[in-house]
Amino acid sequence: MKEIIAIIRRDKTPETKRALEELGFPSMTLQGVEGRGKQRGDTCTDELDSDLPKSYCTAVKLKPTPSTYALEHTLPKVAIFVPKRMITMIVPDEMVDPIVNRIMEVNRTGRHGDGKIFVCPIEKAIRIRTGEEDERAIS
Amino acid sequence: MKMIRAFIRPEKEQEVVLALEGAGYPSLTKMPVFGRGKQKGLQVGPVHYDELPKTLIMMVVEDEDVERVIDIIQNKARTGFIGDGKIFISSVERAFTIRTGEEVL
Repeated sequence: MKEIIAIIRRDKTPETKRALEELGFPSMTLQGVEGRGKQRGDTCTDELDSDLPKSYCTAVKLKPTPSTYALEHTLPKVAIFVPKRMITMIVPDEMVDPIVNRIMEVNRTGRHGDGKIFVCPIEKAIRIRTGEEDERAIS
Repeated sequence: MKMIRAFIRPEKEQEVVLALEGAGYPSLTKMPVFGRGKQKGLQVGPVHYDELPKTLIMMVVEDEDVERVIDIIQNKARTGFIGDGKIFISSVERAFTIRTGEEVL
């Protein structure tokens, strides 16, 4: 079993859910998170994330603080985080590739901020209702 | 690759983020969470707080960077009092960038 953690655009969530349902994996955990990547959140993709206010790039800048660290290192005194959706799902080993490819297909816009997918090993899974373990618990 | 999950005080979040950015690790995901530790929450006089607000910082880094990131988070998030938080490391087998489809971090 593998755990697939996908961090995607909020606008793409319904599409991704539909695509995963078609593949036969409707079970997932969704979480609203904030994050950023190599570009430090400075993507300004207003037209791709419709639920962001137009002035988002200025709206989320944290108030500059007289952090001694920032002063010492002359960092830009802003930390920008972009709201994202995190999808977590546990799937059998052989289904990892199809699911990852499908998520990438659906979410790809070619712009910064499309997201990341991580695949982690899972040692054991248990269905609480019946006590079934491993593969049978996630099927 | 390793995934680092750090549960830290919400008020220390910006300090940790700035330090990580300064050290060259700008990529991270954060989320607000509630939890408790060994002390079963917090007792202030007659009031008992069972679940305390924390910030969960999640980042995936290469194996050789793990120790350095842990050091940074520890130095910045430590106050010496109960409730400073925990750091968990778990393994990540593969990482994909959706924009390019490449299998790199």
